Amino acid sequence: MVTPLKAEHISKSYGSEQVLDDLHLQLYSGETLSILGRSGCGKTTLLKILAGLEPADQGKVLVNEIDIQSLSPQAREVVYLYQEALLFPHLNVFENIAFGLRLRNRSEEEIKEHTLTMIDRLGLNGMNEKMPHQLSGGQQQRVSFGRALITNPSVLLLDEPFGSLDADTRSNMQQFFKNIAKQFDITAIFVTHNVKEAMLMGNRIATLANGSLSVFDSIDAFINSSNNVVQEEIAFWESVQARRSN
Amino acid sequence: MISTGRARTFWVKVLIITLLFPVAYLLMLSLATQWIFPSVLPASLTLDRWSTLLGASNLFGSLLLSLGIALSVATISTFAGFFSSKHLAYHPQRSLWIRLSYFPFVLSPVIYAAVLYFYFIKLDLAGSFVGVILGQLLIAYPYSVILFSGFWSERIQQIEKLTQTLGGSRWQIYRRVLLPMAQGLLLVCFFQTFLISWFEYGLTTIIGVGKVQTLTLKVFQYINEANFYNAALASSLLVLPPIILLFFNRKYLFRQRW
Repeated sequence: MVTPLKAEHISKSYGSEQVLDDLHLQLYSGETLSILGRSGCGKTTLLKILAGLEPADQGKVLVNEIDIQSLSPQAREVVYLYQEALLFPHLNVFENIAFGLRLRNRSEEEIKEHTLTMIDRLGLNGMNEKMPHQLSGGQQQRVSFGRALITNPSVLLLDEPFGSLDADTRSNMQQFFKNIAKQFDITAIFVTHNVKEAMLMGNRIATLANGSLSVFDSIDAFINSSNNVVQEEIAFWESVQARRSN
Repeated sequence: MISTGRARTFWVKVLIITLLFPVAYLLMLSLATQWIFPSVLPASLTLDRWSTLLGASNLFGSLLLSLGIALSVATISTFAGFFSSKHLAYHPQRSLWIRLSYFPFVLSPVIYAAVLYFYFIKLDLAGSFVGVILGQLLIAYPYSVILFSGFWSERIQQIEKLTQTLGGSRWQIYRRVLLPMAQGLLLVCFFQTFLISWFEYGLTTIIGVGKVQTLTLKVFQYINEANFYNAALASSLLVLPPIILLFFNRKYLFRQRW
């Protein structure tokens, strides 16, 4: 089976600060790998290197087992999604989703068929003509996913995509992503600093700290590992419980 | 409620009349054969002065010359400012470059032109059409850079990068994303730089050394000669293109955007 994404010996430093240190990463087809880490630990830098938006000091990135290190971001088939939906404000929902197909000069018929199907699968029926400012935060994120998925990328890189949403919408969007990930067989890296979100979204979890990436084979392995954020979370809730009992 | 509405209508009418009166007055003066104080209206009107425009009058030539200079300056400065302001905005020394952009305005365009006049003579550009365009660009281009520097934000940079990963080439990013997003600002910049060039007097006088007779220079020439009727005619021609430009672009210039 072809490995959708593999990163080997990735290192990156800014001046004297080593952000990523000889990092290895492998993604299996159709899985979501959650990367957990504190703010400023290098999560975004890692995603940008994988997407080709930032150069690594050393190491190589393989997509579908092809070395893409020398390829420009537009030729990598790796879509990077930011925390904000970043919809094109001058285009309506239909045109935002159809954007990637227009870049590839697909026929008008094909664009219409694919985009309407995508709108239907995203549960955005009847919103074709709406402009981004007329949509809620959750709807904007759906359009953003649709705009990325219609290009059929090999890997989707999600940089805290629900970070700017309120708790309810965030919860809905997490469920929504789980559904479409299954439906579209998405291979993705989901970056977050939220332990619960990481466990909910990922098939596997990795933690990034001090430039090193520790990948756990399963969620159970992550929970049972010592000295991780789950243990801190459990300890916190136990202390709350103990205080309430006293 | 009704009285508030009526009051508003009244003041809107007053404002429109106040704005239109000088234009109407200029038109009337340009058509007058004789208009001597204290007459409220001219003794008679004539189209002779306007009809000579299409004949041997060099005023029509000045109109075309001014249009050529202003359209060139507006087009070049708008596009050059748009593209170069991007590089300045993301440059590590951004604030230094933006501060330098204010230099021609701090120094005053006339003094700036006088200082640079030597180089225009050396390059054989003084008194030429190209020389005046280049001279006016020295003011219009920094203005354009300052105007566009606010457009290039971190958000725009993120949108640009996202579009790259969606498969967009550099040209596609400009054509499908950046230029449409900046459409309103591009129009405002074009209009403003057109006006800067159109009404420019001091710098054009120095660099043009009297050989490049734009419409603005003609107006001042007629005023100096105390030829009020011709000055009114030239002034009418001077205010018409900006009004026409404003009228046809009003829906783009004043439209509320995303």
